[in-house]
Amino acid sequence: MNPEPFLHLDRLIHEKGRLAIMSMLAATPELSFTELRDTLEMTDGNLTTHLRALQQEGYIAVAKSYQNNRPLTTCSLTLAGRKAFAEYINLLEQIVRQNKSP
Amino acid sequence: MNSNLAEEHLQTIRLLMERSALYRRALAPIMLVAGILGVVAAAIGLRFHVESAKAFAGLWMGTACVALTLAFVLARRQALKDHEPFWSPPTCRVAQALFPPLLCGLFAGGLLALMADSWGVDFPMLLAWLLFYGCALHAAGFFMARGIKWFGWIFIAGAVLLMISIHAAGYEITPWAANWLMGFFFGLLHLGYGGYLYFTENSRNRSAA
Repeated sequence: MNPEPFLHLDRLIHEKGRLAIMSMLAATPELSFTELRDTLEMTDGNLTTHLRALQQEGYIAVAKSYQNNRPLTTCSLTLAGRKAFAEYINLLEQIVRQNKSP
Repeated sequence: MNSNLAEEHLQTIRLLMERSALYRRALAPIMLVAGILGVVAAAIGLRFHVESAKAFAGLWMGTACVALTLAFVLARRQALKDHEPFWSPPTCRVAQALFPPLLCGLFAGGLLALMADSWGVDFPMLLAWLLFYGCALHAAGFFMARGIKWFGWIFIAGAVLLMISIHAAGYEITPWAANWLMGFFFGLLHLGYGGYLYFTENSRNRSAA
């Protein structure tokens, strides 16, 4: 098996929690912190840590606003994030194809 | 990483993407239009004394058909405006969730109207519609944001409370009261929820801008 595609997998996205966040954000324009936390069943601290890591890499944008006088944090994928996620998926598909080919 | 693990990863990604793709289209206008239609139908029912079970069923099932058609038109119009496909995966899932309970409500209403000769059925019809509509909203709420599930629960709880209170009071509900109740649940509640969605969405957009 050629290990080349595996070596190119984005280490930041490859982590289970961050991959889940990126997957959810890839399918929708934006999601609130609460929606992400509840769907992924993460703690506030855990989610915040992952979001910060993704934000520092420029993969997601975090916007803070107010809704009904309550703070609302929304997250969305940036262009760089979308590109990195697409590349990650392509590499995974390449790994699967590689093993299926005779 | 072996191929199985990569496939598992892809499967998980697909699942999460499907779960997060929520239906967000034209919800406030649809609720407001449904509310206006509900109020108008109740006014017609009260003004023209729509009291026989068949006429009651005809009025409210006709209103439901008009509301569904307008909801379809509004959702399609927004999809065209946003250059998106109308039958997107979230739209399909919402339609699939709504279809069985709404069909059951239609069937129950039709059946009760056909049996109308044997006893007064306005009240059972009202209860059946409230319950099935509440279930439909709750099922669709799994693929929609913004409190649709809670809105569905209001209809279910309303039907149960009505059943308990009518049973406890020991009197039959009149067709006149049935029109009032339909107007309240399918008219005023939708208007209230539509207004809430409309104004909170706007304030959210304003503060995010």
